[in-house]
Amino acid sequence: MTAKPMTGQAFFVLTALADGPRHGYGIVGEVAELSQGRVRLKIGSLYGVLERLAAERLIEPDREEAHDGRLRRYYRLTRDGRRVLAEEAEIRAATARVVRARLGLAGAESAG
Amino acid sequence: MSGDLERRYRRVLRLLPRWYREQWEQDMVAAFLDGWLTGDPEADDYISVAAGPGCAEIASVIGLAVRLHLGGPGTPRRHAWGQAIRRAVLAVLLMHAVLAVDVLVSLVWRHRLVGWLPAPPGSVVVAPTGVWATVYCLVSAAWVVVFLTLALRDYRTARVLGALCVVPGLIALLQAHFTGMLPAPFGPWVFWVMVDLAPVLAMAAFHRDAPPVARRPWLLALPAGCVLVYGPVLALQVTDNVAWLPDFSGLCCILAALACLVHAPRAWSRRAAGSGLWSLTLVLLAAVAGAYRLVSLTDFLDDPHLTAVSLAELLILLAAVALVAPDAARAQTAAATPAPPLRPNAVAG
Repeated sequence: MTAKPMTGQAFFVLTALADGPRHGYGIVGEVAELSQGRVRLKIGSLYGVLERLAAERLIEPDREEAHDGRLRRYYRLTRDGRRVLAEEAEIRAATARVVRARLGLAGAESAG
Repeated sequence: MSGDLERRYRRVLRLLPRWYREQWEQDMVAAFLDGWLTGDPEADDYISVAAGPGCAEIASVIGLAVRLHLGGPGTPRRHAWGQAIRRAVLAVLLMHAVLAVDVLVSLVWRHRLVGWLPAPPGSVVVAPTGVWATVYCLVSAAWVVVFLTLALRDYRTARVLGALCVVPGLIALLQAHFTGMLPAPFGPWVFWVMVDLAPVLAMAAFHRDAPPVARRPWLLALPAGCVLVYGPVLALQVTDNVAWLPDFSGLCCILAALACLVHAPRAWSRRAAGSGLWSLTLVLLAAVAGAYRLVSLTDFLDDPHLTAVSLAELLILLAAVALVAPDAARAQTAAATPAPPLRPNAVAG
């Protein structure tokens, strides 16, 4: 049984949570920064991704904090989420090495 | 003050299913407002009046709503229907296997393959012969294998064998159709489409992400099904009451109605978690049985007695389905995929 390929949005959201819990808008900001502005998640898209990741038990709620009268819910990676993200990062890094090798770019000697 | 802005966004969120809003709405609103509000009361007052969810924001909510309402991957609706279809397919194949057991037992008995069995009665000895009779026996045996391989989670073998099983039936139907030998204009075709072809196509629901089939209960269901079906049939034959035997579509209606009646107490019990998926399965099976009964009814509309019996079977089926239908409707929103524990500790900040 092979795992389903991870979407780009899911990959960025998991990466945004890799160094600690974040709330919804915090994830939006972190994803924009990680992607150098290329991925700007809308709230509807973000919560579609969060809901799927939570159903797959890759993320879980961490805590809720009151802020300006609103309750912010923070999310964190689960152990499975950390493992899946690490595996996905490996796959993407290996793919990037192959691409660099085929394009004859610097740092391609490690591709194999 | 974020009142107006919040109200406008909440109005957009009404597009989402209620079960989803119960879990996520507050959080979505908080994230949306975080993106707009600055913390400066004057600026926020202005933003609250002047700003609103933009087209891209609304489009993202619409996209999410469409996925959730249509039952996209990971949604309760998709999960419930997927499970119900898989169980219905297994149930129809179980019925095929039970029918096949009769054919195979008759074959063994007729040819005296088991020495200690008494001599077969005339009804078993006199049996059709020729190529089609042989093919019928082979296909019957194959249906048993299809059911067993599916129950044993060998989905690929079950799919290939199932596809092979439907072909002889189609050829026989076409031959009978073009030679004018079809016993009834609609019934045989409906049987082939709904009882042969549809479950084979629906085996696509046994995909790699589907939860595995519960082997033991389904394997035990085969001998239990044989006892349930052939016990009363034998009793009616022994007591010379064969006239009470329903035709095949009638038998389907009665079995589906009986299953609904047996399941009804569980469907009405609040403590029976997950019963909704069985209710949905039974509604699906009852729909197939009812449609088959309705169409095959047109084959003998000139016989008022048979028509009345068929309508009575349909009414019994409808009444039985009504008992589990509310639970089946709930299953589409309640039988969710593993929901996250969305109640973390609240921290004042």
